[in-house]
Amino acid sequence: MELARLPISASQRGSSSPQATLLSLPLSLSFNPYLKISDNEALEILRVVSQGSRLDKPDGSHAIVNGAQTAWDMLHEEESLKCITTSCVDLDDILGGGIKCKEVTEIGGVPGIGKTQLGIQLAVNVQIPVNYGGLGGKAIYIDTEGSFMLERALQIAEACIEDMSGNSDFLQKDFQSCQVKAQPKDFLQNIFYFRVCSYTEQIAMINYLDKFISEHKDVNVVIIDSVTFHFRQDFDDLALRTRLLSGMALKLMKLAKKFSLAVVLLNQVTTKHTEGSFQLTLALGDSWSHSCTNRVILYWNGDERYAYIDKSPSLRSASAPYSVTGKGIRTATSKCKRIKIM
Amino acid sequence: MGSLKSLECEYPIIDSDFQNFCASHGIFSVEDILIHDLYMLVAFAEQQSTSERLKQGITQILSIIDGQHQPWLNGMELLEDAQQNKQVLSTGCEGIDMLLQGGLCVGHLTELVGPSSSGKTQICLKVASGVATRYMGGVVFIDTGNSFSPYALHISSIRSQILSLKSQILCHSVFDIFAMLDVVHQLEYSLRSQVQTGADQVRLLIVDSISSLITPILGGSGSHGRALMISAGFLLKKLAHEHNLAVVVTNHMVGGEGGILKPALGESWKSIPHVRLLLSRDPGSSICHMSILKHSYMASGRAARFMI
Repeated sequence: MELARLPISASQRGSSSPQATLLSLPLSLSFNPYLKISDNEALEILRVVSQGSRLDKPDGSHAIVNGAQTAWDMLHEEESLKCITTSCVDLDDILGGGIKCKEVTEIGGVPGIGKTQLGIQLAVNVQIPVNYGGLGGKAIYIDTEGSFMLERALQIAEACIEDMSGNSDFLQKDFQSCQVKAQPKDFLQNIFYFRVCSYTEQIAMINYLDKFISEHKDVNVVIIDSVTFHFRQDFDDLALRTRLLSGMALKLMKLAKKFSLAVVLLNQVTTKHTEGSFQLTLALGDSWSHSCTNRVILYWNGDERYAYIDKSPSLRSASAPYSVTGKGIRTATSKCKRIKIM
Repeated sequence: MGSLKSLECEYPIIDSDFQNFCASHGIFSVEDILIHDLYMLVAFAEQQSTSERLKQGITQILSIIDGQHQPWLNGMELLEDAQQNKQVLSTGCEGIDMLLQGGLCVGHLTELVGPSSSGKTQICLKVASGVATRYMGGVVFIDTGNSFSPYALHISSIRSQILSLKSQILCHSVFDIFAMLDVVHQLEYSLRSQVQTGADQVRLLIVDSISSLITPILGGSGSHGRALMISAGFLLKKLAHEHNLAVVVTNHMVGGEGGILKPALGESWKSIPHVRLLLSRDPGSSICHMSILKHSYMASGRAARFMI
C-alpha cells in the first residue's frame, strides 16, 4: 500500500518517495532528524497507517465494501425520514413535504425576497413537537451578515405556537397529552446562534460543528446565512477560494449524512453575462453550484414572491408562490378568484 | 517497492552479505537495481568470494521485478478477451444507447460532463437501475452529494423486479478522495478474492461526482493533488479492465476563456477517461442534449437528444 494514498501531509511524508510502502516507513519517526515532527504527530501517523492497511480488506462476511448500504435499506430509511415544514402549503408541496433531512439545500434569491425570513422560520419550525408532525429538534443558526433579528424570531415563534394550539383544537386531540406548554422563550432557547466575521472563522466554525453536534445530538437543522458573504469580497486568489469552498461543501455534506440533519445554505445572487444578455445566477460561480443536493431559487413574479426548484435529484422542477407575513412565511393567498393553470 | 532489507524474510537468499555487497555499490532498494548497470554489478560479484550466492541473489531480484508487470498479450488474446468479457451494457435509455451504439463499454471509463442540473445524476440513477434489472448484476454507487435517492430509482424501474433490484445496488457515501480510494481498493480486493458468478457479479461502478472530491486538493502549492487525481483515474481504469466492469464518473463545468464553459479538472484529466460525453439541458424542459467529446472508436461530435 502506497504512502501517497494516506491522508498525511506532504511535509510529514518527509524524504520518502510517493511510492514508498508501509514496510519502508521508519518505525522511529520521531527520532529521524530530517522529519522534524513531534512525538504526538508520529503516533498519529502510525495510527493512520495501521488503520489504512486494515481497511484494505473488507471485514469478513459477504459485504463487498464496508459501510455500503443497499438501495432497499435506504428506501426504508428514506420513507421514515421527516421533513421540516416551511409553513407554506405550496412550498411544502413542491419540496415533497418540506426541507429534507440528510440533504444540503441551497436557497438563493435577490435581496429582500425573504431568505433570512425563511431561515428563521425553519429554525422555529424544526422545534415543533413530534405530536404535531414536526421533528422536535434544535437548530443551529450561523449568521455571517448579522441579519438575524431577535424580535422577529420571537414574533415568528409566538405565531407558530398559536398555530399549533389552533390545530390541536381543530383535530380534537386529547387535551391532556398535547397541551402546548411551550413558550416562545423555549423556542428561542433551542436555537444555537453563532456569529462569524471572516471566512477563516466560517471554515473553523464548520470544522467545529462536528464536535458540537456530537455533544448536542438533537440538533436537526443547520442554517447558514449567508454562506457567500465572506467569500465575495477581497478574495484575491480565486483558485484558493474554489478549493476552500469545495472543501467546505464536502464537510457540510458529511455532517448532513452523519447526523441525519438538514443543512440549509442561504446564498446571494449576482449577474452573469451570457450571450449578450444579463442573467441573475447564484453567487460563487459554477463549481459551487454543484455543492448542494437541492437548490431553490426565490424570485419576484410581478408583485408576488415565488420559489422555483432549480436542481434536485428526486423532485420535479416546479414553482410555487409564498408570502412573508407578520407571522412569518405563509401560504400566498391569491387575489384573483380564477383558478390559475400553471 | 521496498528496500532490500524488507525482502529478507521472504527470500532468504537476500541475506546481509548480499545487502552489504549492494550497499557498497550504492544500492539500497529494488528501484536502485533497476537503474544500475547490471553487467557491471555481475562483474563485481564475480570478483567476490561468494560469487555464486551473489549472482543467485541478483537473479532472484530480477525475477521479483519480472513478476511486477502484467503478462504480455498478443492481438488474438486481446480479441478473445474483448469478445468474451467486454460486452456492451445497455443504459436503459434508448437515446443514449443509439448514440453509443449499444451502450456503455465494459472495461472503459466513461465520463459525464455537464453544467449544473443537466441530468448527470438522473442518468447515473437510470443506468444503475437499468443494469441491475436487465443484467441482474451488482452496482456500486459512490455518492458524494447525498443525491442517491432510492425514490428516483423506484420511479424508473419496472415494478415487478423492484425486490431483486434493490438488494443489488450498493450505495456508499464518501466525502474525501482518500475515502474513495479506500472504497475502490476494498472493491478490488473483494473482486479478486471472491469468486462471483451470475446474479451477484458487480457490473457497474458509478462515482458521482468525482470532481467534487478532487477540486479541494487540486492546485495550490505542490502537485500531490494532481498526482492523486491521476492515480485515482488509473485505479478506476485498471479495475474496469481487469474485473470487466463499466465505470461511470461525473464531472462539472467551470468557466473558461471568453465565458465558455469547459469541463473541470483541467488538462491532465482530459486524457484519462476513455469516453467523454457532454450533457446539457434547456432550462425548464426535460429534454437532454448529449454529444460525444471523446470516444475510443467512434467519431466525436455525434449528438443526440432524448428525454429523461
